Amino acid sequence: MKITNKLKSLIPAVITAAVLTLGVSHSAIASKWDAKMTPDEVEATLDKKFAEGQYSPKGADSCLMCHGKSEKVMDLFKGVHGAANSSNSPMAGLQCESCHGPMGKHNRGGNEPMIAFGPDSTLSAEKQNSVCMSCHQDDKRMSWNGGHHDNADVACASCHSVHTDKDPVLSKNTEMEVCTSCHTKQKADMNKRSSHPMKWAQMVCSDCHNPHGTMSDSDLVKPSVNETCYACHAEKRGPKLWEHAPVTENCVTCHNPHGSVNEGMLKTRAPQLCQQCHASDGHASNAYMGNTEQGSSVGGNAFTGGRSCLNCHNQIHGSNHPSGKLFQR
Amino acid sequence: MKFKLNLVTLALIANAGIALPSIAVAEGYGLQNANTAKVKYDKWACKRCAIDTGVSGTVGVGVGYNDSSDIRSANAFAAEDEFAGKVDADLNYVSESGYRASVEAQNLGMENGSLDIDAGKVGQYNLNVNYRQIATYKTDSAMTPYQGVGSGDLTLPDNWQTAGSSQDMSQLYSSLNPMELSLKRKRAGLGFEYQGEELWSTYITYQREDKTGLKQASGSFFNQSMMLAEPVDYTTDTVEAGVKLRGDNWFTALNYSGSSFKNQYSQLTFDNAFNPTFGAQTQGTMALDPDNEAHTVSLMGQYTAGRTIMSGRVHYGQMTQDQAFVTSGYGYQVPAESLDGKVDISGINLKVVSRINRTVRLNASYDYNDRDNKTNVEEWTQISIDATTGKAAYNTPYDITTQRAKLGADFRLSRGMKLEAGYDFRRDERSYQDRETTDENTLWTKFRLSAFDNWDMWIKGSYGERDGSTYQASEWTSSESNDLLRKYNLADRKRTMVEARISHSPIDALTVDFGARYALDDYNDTQIGLTESKDISYDVSASYLINDDMMINAFYNRQNIDSQQAGSTNFSAPNWYSVIEDQVDVIGAGFSYNNLLEKKLRLGVDYTYSDSSSNTQVTQGITGDYGDYYANVHNINVYGQYQATDKMALRLDYKMENYKDNDPGNQIAPDGIWNVVSFGSNSHNYTAHMVMLSMSYKL
Repeated sequence: MKITNKLKSLIPAVITAAVLTLGVSHSAIASKWDAKMTPDEVEATLDKKFAEGQYSPKGADSCLMCHGKSEKVMDLFKGVHGAANSSNSPMAGLQCESCHGPMGKHNRGGNEPMIAFGPDSTLSAEKQNSVCMSCHQDDKRMSWNGGHHDNADVACASCHSVHTDKDPVLSKNTEMEVCTSCHTKQKADMNKRSSHPMKWAQMVCSDCHNPHGTMSDSDLVKPSVNETCYACHAEKRGPKLWEHAPVTENCVTCHNPHGSVNEGMLKTRAPQLCQQCHASDGHASNAYMGNTEQGSSVGGNAFTGGRSCLNCHNQIHGSNHPSGKLFQR
Repeated sequence: MKFKLNLVTLALIANAGIALPSIAVAEGYGLQNANTAKVKYDKWACKRCAIDTGVSGTVGVGVGYNDSSDIRSANAFAAEDEFAGKVDADLNYVSESGYRASVEAQNLGMENGSLDIDAGKVGQYNLNVNYRQIATYKTDSAMTPYQGVGSGDLTLPDNWQTAGSSQDMSQLYSSLNPMELSLKRKRAGLGFEYQGEELWSTYITYQREDKTGLKQASGSFFNQSMMLAEPVDYTTDTVEAGVKLRGDNWFTALNYSGSSFKNQYSQLTFDNAFNPTFGAQTQGTMALDPDNEAHTVSLMGQYTAGRTIMSGRVHYGQMTQDQAFVTSGYGYQVPAESLDGKVDISGINLKVVSRINRTVRLNASYDYNDRDNKTNVEEWTQISIDATTGKAAYNTPYDITTQRAKLGADFRLSRGMKLEAGYDFRRDERSYQDRETTDENTLWTKFRLSAFDNWDMWIKGSYGERDGSTYQASEWTSSESNDLLRKYNLADRKRTMVEARISHSPIDALTVDFGARYALDDYNDTQIGLTESKDISYDVSASYLINDDMMINAFYNRQNIDSQQAGSTNFSAPNWYSVIEDQVDVIGAGFSYNNLLEKKLRLGVDYTYSDSSSNTQVTQGITGDYGDYYANVHNINVYGQYQATDKMALRLDYKMENYKDNDPGNQIAPDGIWNVVSFGSNSHNYTAHMVMLSMSYKL
């Protein structure tokens, strides 16, 4: 079962839950030609048809002679892709055939393949997407090719639908479910002791990541991890007089933004986290044992209790105090 | 997939390898490549195109009752008080001439409310107004003896008696008051975009975010510390604007992004609760996050030449900070009134993706990112905490340059069989660090098999090694560090990762997924510091459409992260070790039943459970542990939606959260540690309920 199919089973459920009253539903009917042709034959036929350019005599009117009865088909006109009065809409150009390719002999019984989209299309995601990408080429999608989702053969239509007034994946509530249906690790992460407020959809994946790919690491929306974090945590941006180098370098040196068993999304709690880098002579190099049978307890001293190292080194993200070198002021 | 392959044909295809069907390679079905020579547009009247005009959509209101003894439940319920109300809307307006407007409101009136209004003409212009609120709650029972909470000046009561130990502060308990630690963000934005005919478009957005509340901080004198409530009153203004140009096979964009951060409070002054020690300080001052600005300009472009796509981006940014220094109680000369801090950020990204043939696609990229801190280096006298006079220190403006090169290829061995492999190189060059340069080389591969009907599976593996220039442990640190210490972000490291995932649908209605991941970071040259970190996880999920009306799904995840580190109390070879074991279990399940009561009623339940725990053990001769550090939470949402009339639907939600956490290091009285005045124990243990009745009306 393909990832696209997985989304197929999920999206309708999500949509029904979210917008039950709209009566949107996917019908999962494979195309007629798939019963008679192999996917390679379908693709070869489509390539040939596309090159020949046998478009219909009357455009959408030709198509709707048969397909006009389908509510799903007609729902196109509720959305922007069906807006005939916009010069940028497919309906203002080759109409239905902008996306589904030239009609050719398809009108004779519907046996000849057309370009089909979504979970039941046997056409490769790359070929399906070439249609969408020919218009949707901009700075938010320029890294699609060779990007994470492209490599995973995710089709645009795996997540998006155009035959609707409102694409459900663009809603915050459904977005989380769609992303985590494949990204299960992140689904678990957001349920940990601390995480960004993803669990209740106050934040969503696309606040930080662009699912269409970017030129940055992990498809982040800004050029670097820290610049992405600064978009909301501008107080940490500085530059401050006393910088804590690993903080300035990369927030994820200490934090896991997807969630952690520790408070504050820290990878490890203080003092251990701090002692992974600080072993100078004195209190930083001591072993802090916590609860022992000798009578010490983890909450009984300032090195492990309270805020641990931060009891004194409160300004761990950097200090702008003239006397802030040790991040105490 | 209707096209079935059995094992034999699969093997045949695999052997045939690259010589699959002899179909000419096409670039796809992009509109630019469409052969429209024969189209007779004058006959394309689109008479059957039924464009709905007017207003459509739904509006809704809801009222809720919230029963909670702990403000922390507001994270889940978005309600602070006993009663809550909300407005939802999802409205669209379409005019005959192509004007469109939409209003999308979610939970407006609640703490997580959002609103999005768009209006414009498709393909020409759009005006957007938006609002969004994010609130996070930590506790409402943090105990503090300080007065003036919420301001930048925290004072102790007049009758306060300082002492050498928190246990001896006679007025501590009578002065304690509870306070709420929570943070609220309110964001409002305005955006406009305009699309010119064919070639160009432009946009501008403006956003203001106000973040207010209280967060936990600590103020200290020598070795004595008080937990303090730091006031948060931030305003961040963001402007983004750009121009985009495009042609048939090229695209370019020039973008600007600017952000200005303002903190209402530049400093936090606090009374010393303890007897003054060195310097006889009775009051301390902390510098709060200073106002700052950041501006970035980027130029990006893409060119498609047949089956090769080339993309690039250059960006240049500057971050500045020039707020007057906090000098109250400092008592020394400062070399300047303010820092005049300036950091230049510059970057270049280049990427080429080229489909060689039907089977092979190659990609290569190069990234350069540079942070150049141009702030002046000056001498700064540090307030002394012992009997000696103030020591001078120099600031160390941090520079880092990162370069990355990636080479990769993917091979479509046959339909449903794909192999990817790649090599990644990364070099980091840093200033003022124990190690100037680190280099990391990583090889990775992924194989995906989706050729079998109803099965999809992939496996991915990677191995990387990081090393670099000579490690000099104490070059830039004022206090001498152990020579054997290797900071984990600079240390040599061997990183191994294997991940696999299988998805199976024995029948159309049932999907079962299983995934597992193993990752090991071996800091192979580290004796002191983090020596190893292992992360193992697996998850399984299933969803089953029992019939047209009933659906059930379940999810389980287990993750274990084990880390080991070593230290030395005698400034030589390791003589203590610690092991940190984290474990997380997450369970999720949901059931929904549609079309009950003559297709009018829908019932459902969603449940999640998560249990995070962490165990720290430190061994130096004897072994001690850090107690039971855990958080577990059950969430239930039961709902029923009834379609009362064609237009009107009613929905009833019952939500429950049962939450319990513990932090033994913080499970203490305000005077539990002799040299700390703490907020007291802030662990949680509650069950909160919420009932919400909402009504939606379809226009």
